[in-house]
Amino acid sequence: MIEVKSQVFQGTLDLMVLKTLDALGPLHGYGIARRIEQLSDQLLRLNEGTVYASLLRLAQKGWIRSEWGTSESNRRARFYSISTAGRRQLAREAENWERFTGVIGKILQMQTGG
Amino acid sequence: MLTAMRVFASRLLGSFRRQRFDAGIEEEFQSHLQMLADRFVSQGMTKAEALRAAKQQFGGVAQVEEELRERSGLAFLASLWQDLRYGLRMLRKSPGFAAVVILTLGLGIGANTAIFSVVDAVMLRPLPFQKPNQLVVVWHTPPQKSFPGVHRFVVSPANYLDWSRQNDVFTAMSAIGFNRANLTGMTQPESVQQRLVSYDFFSMLGVLPIAGRTFTATDDQPGHGNVAILNWAFCQGHFGAATNALGKIIHLDDKAYTVIGVMPPSFDFPFQTRLWTPLAWTDKESAVRDDHNYIVIARMKPGVDEAKAQADMTTISRRLAQQYPTDDAGWGALVVPLRDLVAGSIGPALLVLFGAVGFVLLIACANVANLLLTKALGRDREMAIRAALGASRKRIARQVLSETALVSVAGGIVAVLLARFVVAAIGTFIAGQLPLSIEIGLNGWVLAFTFAICVLTAIIAGVAPAWHLTKTNLNESLKQSSGKTSPDSRGRRARNSLVASEVALSLVLLVGAGLAIETLYLLRQVNPGTDPHNVLTVPLAISQKRYPAVSQQTNFFQQTLQRVRVLPGVVDAAAADSLPLTDGSTQPVQVEGQPPEAMADQPEVAVRVISPGYFSAMHIPIIQGRDFTDADKAGAESVVLVSESFARRFWPHENPIGRHVGLTFSPGPPRTVIGVVGDVKLNGLDVTQPVQTVYSAMLQNDISTLMTLVVRTATPPTSLTSAITGAVHQVDPQVPVTGVLTMDDIVDQSLSQQQLNMTLLAIFGGLALLLAAIGIYGVQAYAVRHRVREIGIRLALGAQPRDVLRQIIGQGLFLTGIGICGGLVVAIGLTRLMASQLYGVSATDPLTLAGVVVVLTLVALAACYIPARRAMKVDPTVALRYE
Repeated sequence: MIEVKSQVFQGTLDLMVLKTLDALGPLHGYGIARRIEQLSDQLLRLNEGTVYASLLRLAQKGWIRSEWGTSESNRRARFYSISTAGRRQLAREAENWERFTGVIGKILQMQTGG
Repeated sequence: MLTAMRVFASRLLGSFRRQRFDAGIEEEFQSHLQMLADRFVSQGMTKAEALRAAKQQFGGVAQVEEELRERSGLAFLASLWQDLRYGLRMLRKSPGFAAVVILTLGLGIGANTAIFSVVDAVMLRPLPFQKPNQLVVVWHTPPQKSFPGVHRFVVSPANYLDWSRQNDVFTAMSAIGFNRANLTGMTQPESVQQRLVSYDFFSMLGVLPIAGRTFTATDDQPGHGNVAILNWAFCQGHFGAATNALGKIIHLDDKAYTVIGVMPPSFDFPFQTRLWTPLAWTDKESAVRDDHNYIVIARMKPGVDEAKAQADMTTISRRLAQQYPTDDAGWGALVVPLRDLVAGSIGPALLVLFGAVGFVLLIACANVANLLLTKALGRDREMAIRAALGASRKRIARQVLSETALVSVAGGIVAVLLARFVVAAIGTFIAGQLPLSIEIGLNGWVLAFTFAICVLTAIIAGVAPAWHLTKTNLNESLKQSSGKTSPDSRGRRARNSLVASEVALSLVLLVGAGLAIETLYLLRQVNPGTDPHNVLTVPLAISQKRYPAVSQQTNFFQQTLQRVRVLPGVVDAAAADSLPLTDGSTQPVQVEGQPPEAMADQPEVAVRVISPGYFSAMHIPIIQGRDFTDADKAGAESVVLVSESFARRFWPHENPIGRHVGLTFSPGPPRTVIGVVGDVKLNGLDVTQPVQTVYSAMLQNDISTLMTLVVRTATPPTSLTSAITGAVHQVDPQVPVTGVLTMDDIVDQSLSQQQLNMTLLAIFGGLALLLAAIGIYGVQAYAVRHRVREIGIRLALGAQPRDVLRQIIGQGLFLTGIGICGGLVVAIGLTRLMASQLYGVSATDPLTLAGVVVVLTLVALAACYIPARRAMKVDPTVALRYE
């Protein structure tokens, strides 16, 4: 199990939420929690409420926006969507990851090379 | 970086949108839970089970809410706001306590604000001129042989001109002459303060007129000086708008002047000037080197500092002393900043007062700290619970400090309100003594100072209770509220030391007040050499234009005196060129029996020109010989009277009558001494050295255009003002009669500095005493209240109520005693700082010290008495019943 309070986890969760919103469009908190459950293949057993801490962080950084609306089951819920700045952040993260994996790849290759 | 700022901004905003945020979260979570529950229901659970499972899956709702709440605002702000609101609630619960604390702080801070605003106006604020740091006053320093103890003297025209031409440290130099001119041609004749200045006076100061122009070099030439520039208030009063005044003709001392300019409001430099005219010296006037009458100011060149300017002036003075040994030997120059004119007279006293109010504030803080500590100790259970619930020590301390902060701010507001009132009063009082119109009020700097003091006060007053509460032993406090571990023992040392220091501080202040009171009292006891009661003084000035001949001048005064003497209610009347306790002239003299000397080495004495009957009107005793009579007039033998100290100095073992004295500035043969009179305190009541004086007859003097009538009355002096004015106008309706004062008023004016000192120090001392008394009372009352059980046991075991009384009072007196000892040590060290303000008492006068000790002890006794009586009346059965 992964620790919930660690910074790394928080950052990863934020990234997942951001990507979810980018891929699937506006969602409410429940919807996001469901998606993450699916994506992580039930590995991440987190308390669903944690998602909201992540959403608050993202909103404070200006990467997502929120609006009140009605859900499928006719309930009033807050819907979150990614912002332009959020998309930019995602692109930055993707780039970082690519670079990172590239370097690791080269190092690993080096090893085998001899 | 940008992201971090954005986060901060949204958190800052979030701290203000509390309620809406909370409602939003709740609704959102409820929705989520419902949706989860629905899902579980669809999987087959019952509604109740589904809801429970949903809550489990969600995690602790309250916990997440709390976390979000914390994240969404600035935690610091939120808890601070909480502390402040709690503090406010606590204070509202005990309004009496809050009122006492706020008032105490208000008085302490207010006194400081008031004095600081004066210090700011007089000593700190830059003068309202361009680049004021470059402006200096250049005084003459006279030879100490002729003028012992005098270090600042006015300057003669020839010396001024030489200084002006020979220096290379000043961009400009201006001489200023003072004249009280008769203004005629207006609705009624008036006496106005006229200043004669160099043409570049205004440009040197950097002040522009609001109408018209200032002087040009031509205006300052002989024969050209008949232009005048008006002060704004004067212009308003006589012509209305500034533009109305330009081009008008006014008559000063019967000479016509054209108004060419008006100065902006509140410019009346120096010393309440009403109008300025050019010096326009004739060649004869420019050559005068031995008669000193002008103040000289100058602007230093950029890059020149005072030391350089002083060195240059000293060189020039030495050169002049060599060139003109008769007139200038021994005369030097002294360069001081212009501010010296403003701060010089009041400076030292002001600093003493500033120190005094600082003490008052410290005492107030100690009192408030004590009160807060006492209150806080009653809340140690509450603090223990807070600590048990997880509050850090810092948080608890902050909570206490925020209460102190609230109280200090409230005290600060009270202080500002009080100070406004006090500052206005002080301002009116000293306005007449300042050379500039300085506005003394609560400006931005003063308010900033007040705020800083509030913060300081909050810290000082809050430290003791905060520190104490964070030391609370959890276990002990959570046990029974009273009982074995009485809270009294805990804060006792802190409280007692606070009270002792209050007593010490108030002792120091009271000693200062006592010394000031004694000084004033002794000064009023000083025999001025005359009887100032029931004497009216009437200054009269006539112009040389209308009274060109000396005989016409003396005729005017003689006729006026004749008419005044026959008025009902007048006992006696005479005239003199200047009065005791006001500025008068001095001259070098050549005394018979002394070797002839150059003027620079001749002794310098006070010279007064008087009419016959002066001594009897002023009740100055004639010890030997006779007074002047009307027979001592021009053409007859020149005669003088001398004061006792004069006779004693120059003819100690001989009869002074018949000896001769030559007045160096008055032409003619040496004068014969016809009488000796008692010494008069011409230079001030606090001058212990007798003033050697020569009295010369008005009828035998060369010019008498400015004389003051002295009229001894049988009825209160001011009742005769209009009658005397009438008499003057019968002789010449064009002569203004203003500035009429009684001799008693003049005596009071000469003591105004000491009066101010005494009033303020007495008020502060009284405040300090009151605060110390409250402090002692508070401590003893608290002690009694919390030792009720102990007292009850004592009484039950057979102690007499009297013994209890004695014990309580004894403890209180012991505390006071410690404070008194500490205070004495500090007082003896500090009061020497006010030695310059004292007369007749030393700074460590044992009688004053003893007196203050007695007063403090009595007050402490009274303060202890009430709680002691209450202790006495404790009913043992009732006391023992309480657990």
